[in-house]
Amino acid sequence: MIFSIGDSIISPLAMTSHGNFEAVMRGESRLQYYEHAFGLPEPCFISLMEDERIDRAFETIYDYSVKDYTKMEKAAILAVHQAIAEANIAANRSDVIFILSTTKGNVDLLESNPYEPERPYLWRSAQLIAEFFGNPNTPIVVSNACISGCAAQIAAANQLRYGGYKYAVVVGAETLSKFVISGFQSFKALSKERCMPFDGSRCGLNLGEAAAAIVYTIDDDPTHIPDNALILRAGAINNDANHISGPSRTGEGLLRAINKVIAGFDNAQPAFDVNRLAFINAHGTATLYNDDMESVAISRANLQQVPVNSLKGYFGHTLGAAGILETIMAYQAIKNHTIIGTKGTDNPAPACPINVATSTMNTNGDAFMKLISGFGGSNAALLMEINRNDNMSVVETHGRASLQPEKPTISVISQCDITDDAVVLNGQTIISRNADSNTWLADIYRHIGMAYPKFFKMDNLCKAGTLAAELLLKDVDFDRETVKPDWAVVLMNSASSLDDDRHYQTTIQDADNYYPSPAVFVYTLANIITGEIAIRHKIGGESSFYVVPAFSPEQMDTMVSQCFSANPELTHIICGWADYDEGKCEVKMQLLEKNVETHCSVYQNNERIEN
Amino acid sequence: MEELILELKKEIIDVLNLEGMTPADIDENAPLFGEGLGLDSIDALELIVLMEKNYGIKLANANEGKEIFKSVRVMAEYIKEHRTK
Repeated sequence: MIFSIGDSIISPLAMTSHGNFEAVMRGESRLQYYEHAFGLPEPCFISLMEDERIDRAFETIYDYSVKDYTKMEKAAILAVHQAIAEANIAANRSDVIFILSTTKGNVDLLESNPYEPERPYLWRSAQLIAEFFGNPNTPIVVSNACISGCAAQIAAANQLRYGGYKYAVVVGAETLSKFVISGFQSFKALSKERCMPFDGSRCGLNLGEAAAAIVYTIDDDPTHIPDNALILRAGAINNDANHISGPSRTGEGLLRAINKVIAGFDNAQPAFDVNRLAFINAHGTATLYNDDMESVAISRANLQQVPVNSLKGYFGHTLGAAGILETIMAYQAIKNHTIIGTKGTDNPAPACPINVATSTMNTNGDAFMKLISGFGGSNAALLMEINRNDNMSVVETHGRASLQPEKPTISVISQCDITDDAVVLNGQTIISRNADSNTWLADIYRHIGMAYPKFFKMDNLCKAGTLAAELLLKDVDFDRETVKPDWAVVLMNSASSLDDDRHYQTTIQDADNYYPSPAVFVYTLANIITGEIAIRHKIGGESSFYVVPAFSPEQMDTMVSQCFSANPELTHIICGWADYDEGKCEVKMQLLEKNVETHCSVYQNNERIEN
Repeated sequence: MEELILELKKEIIDVLNLEGMTPADIDENAPLFGEGLGLDSIDALELIVLMEKNYGIKLANANEGKEIFKSVRVMAEYIKEHRTK
């Protein structure tokens, strides 16, 4: 079983998990109105961490200048520092893996960067955080838009179950900037007053800053789990395959994720008794469509009686930190037999009637569900339990069977590499670049006879990934008409969405020519490429995006085999490396199939691919 | 008016990346959303930017846009009346 042994929240409210819980119990929030935050022309209602407070706390653990790290990194380091102290582990051990969850990291450095040139890269921040604690392993960045924090916890569970690690330090961190706020403003997604999750009068979300960390470990003997520990029973990610920014009207992806965590991990774990649920901690951003979508999914899952809350009225939407911060807050609440009331909400009126907890109340439940959804059509659900010493149900319902399945047999169906010079499909060059061409990706589109006008709206990274996926599936016989929950998309790169980030920055850089573009902003989330591929090919299983310093076939191999192991229903994964940076395209993608007779190791034996 | 309609069509093709389309392919009286050009909610937001950037017209939210973006002709009429640049 996977359970937590330490956690921490650094937020504008308080600098510890418990401190944050107490502040929330007092009804506090640092969300407030700013006329021109970060020099923005439009006002916004946001929650900011005080720089000075972060620096003061940082100086107590670090002798050097506070200028060595960015605010996002310092907040993350503070959170990790506390969480590993509580966990009482040495983070420099080789069986500890660091996982960073963030959507935009140090993107504000695109405006002006006093650090080394690679500092805006997400992997660089992760590396600095892991190095701070002397950790020898290459950290993984999960950048899956708003679901990153939950996706990172699922990635941690996979690393512990299948990756041989004993401890996973999961940290989420996000700071705000002109870049992030202007983008959400261009989406008309922000409320100029306190957000009202699920309320009939809700009119948008508030953004917030925070960092939060959890240390997870694994032990298959339930008697080893400390009393009151938080157990990560199951997690699931499902794509809507519907739209890159709009939530599905039917809540399809979220419903699948909810049903999956309830159904149990595999045969070793029976279905979960939903009567044990104390509450569902929803995403509850207070946008019209998100809250409606969640209510549809919760209602379709027959959970309309379970109390539902949202924490956005206290912290705002803390983006990459949200999934972790809210999991910890929900844990604090359940430990204290409490359901936190949804601040800002008086008259819940989402599309489907659900049981929104508008005020704080008591509960005897010993489990909760954490839901989250975001750009790229991604949804995640976590099913968490608290290990009550008077409650042997944990042992009974988990069973004692090992959750270690056999390593699945995987075969490579097709492989596509796209560089600046050529497109190679299954070992054969299908088009080479005309040296004069400055429309290379469009040339490929025309050459392969693709008919998908949306292609021309995409950023370069999505164009390249979409072309590769198209080629991978060109000669494959599969169901193109219905959404396939047994197909997944798992991609990695080094530059996340920096190519498009730089483009977006040009739309806001000049105060006299300030026109933030929503169509450019939407692609500043690295995982949109997984969403585009999911939409194009109706893929409804997991969609994940990871950022690492450089391409490693071994690491890719590990991530996809973990994805197959953790999701026994999967038959196919479109996976690989998709990077676009400084005008340089580097794509190495594959279509994998599980359990067919002829097989070879992913990536390692490409010569065995059969055309 | 016809000149503004043509200019608007060119701008729409450009900012919404309607590859391969010419102004002649857009019927100024046909609905912009739903069938036809296949535009979505992000395109609507981008049209709000176009209105501000090129004509100095600020729209508070996408709902306001719904009425104005009914067709290119309706858009042109609104611009003619409200433009500040």
